[in-house]
Amino acid sequence: MKTCMIPIVAVFLLVTGCATHHPQTAEEFRQAAPGAFLGKKETFEVNRSFKDVARTFQKKAPQCLNVRVKTVSQTTTSYQVIVTRYKPTVLVSNQRAELHIQQHHESGVLNVTKEPEGGYFLVVTDAYPVSKNKTKIVMYRPSMGFDVMIKAIKGWASGTKTGCPDMTKI
Amino acid sequence: MGVANFLRTAAFLTSLSISGLLLLSCSGMKTYPNSPEKNVTITTNTDSGSLFSSVNTRLDIYQVTPDCKLDYKGTVQLDTASVSIGIPSEKMSYLVFGFASSSFLASTSGSTSYETLFKPRKGYHYTINASYIDNIYDVTIRESHPGKNLSRNIETVGLSNC
Repeated sequence: MKTCMIPIVAVFLLVTGCATHHPQTAEEFRQAAPGAFLGKKETFEVNRSFKDVARTFQKKAPQCLNVRVKTVSQTTTSYQVIVTRYKPTVLVSNQRAELHIQQHHESGVLNVTKEPEGGYFLVVTDAYPVSKNKTKIVMYRPSMGFDVMIKAIKGWASGTKTGCPDMTKI
Repeated sequence: MGVANFLRTAAFLTSLSISGLLLLSCSGMKTYPNSPEKNVTITTNTDSGSLFSSVNTRLDIYQVTPDCKLDYKGTVQLDTASVSIGIPSEKMSYLVFGFASSSFLASTSGSTSYETLFKPRKGYHYTINASYIDNIYDVTIRESHPGKNLSRNIETVGLSNC
């Protein structure tokens, strides 16, 4: 069987379309994602205190998202191995809790634009206190794919899920 | 004829067993030795979410040396709903729950793991729930004492905290 490695060019249309600049900070990502091709801003409220949401982000993000993932795809004509490192960052203040997720391809993908330190921004989730038991969640995220990760983060925010997403399935 | 069939079947099964043993030995995986004192019950619940994919769950158990090195003790295949095992009390162990998924149609595979330090207390029982449902995995560890009406969840502790 003929196998070959297919180097994948990282076509990150998520935020910048065909532009050659990617957001280098979380704030730049917030600005760019809503209007970008395959980017999305989603807002909703959860019936949990801001403190609980922030604590859950602090607990689950390093436990679940600080991972290196190796995926192998094989067909009769191709053999593909991609190693991706995910980096979560949680920042909490009295006004906002932030969960940033960055991804860096260690192998199998060629990056064509400047990558921020820690990897390209994939998801930025902000939590804002609304009332004692209500918190507003704003997610800047891809509009397609990454469903498992998005589902897990929403579950952490709402308190309905405590599990980790299988990052090989995002 | 009957004897010939029996011999063929026996030979086939023997070759399968040998192949299995070779695979196990080549992979470096060994079955975790069963101890008479079973202080840990593990329940497993998996659902890959598709007819064309499957999830294999296993537990690798390591003993942690005083200088925080890992000494591999063996693997428990979590392919039944519930299994009871013994993990040495008052000694630090490291548990690695592995969830390996594969898709038949797309010929893709991947694996992810949940890892934690674990030091069972003497006289206590531990119930571990390992689940992988719709690509979200979770492991919860609950400690209880048979003689007391108290129980608590055990938090995940990374190896860096050794």
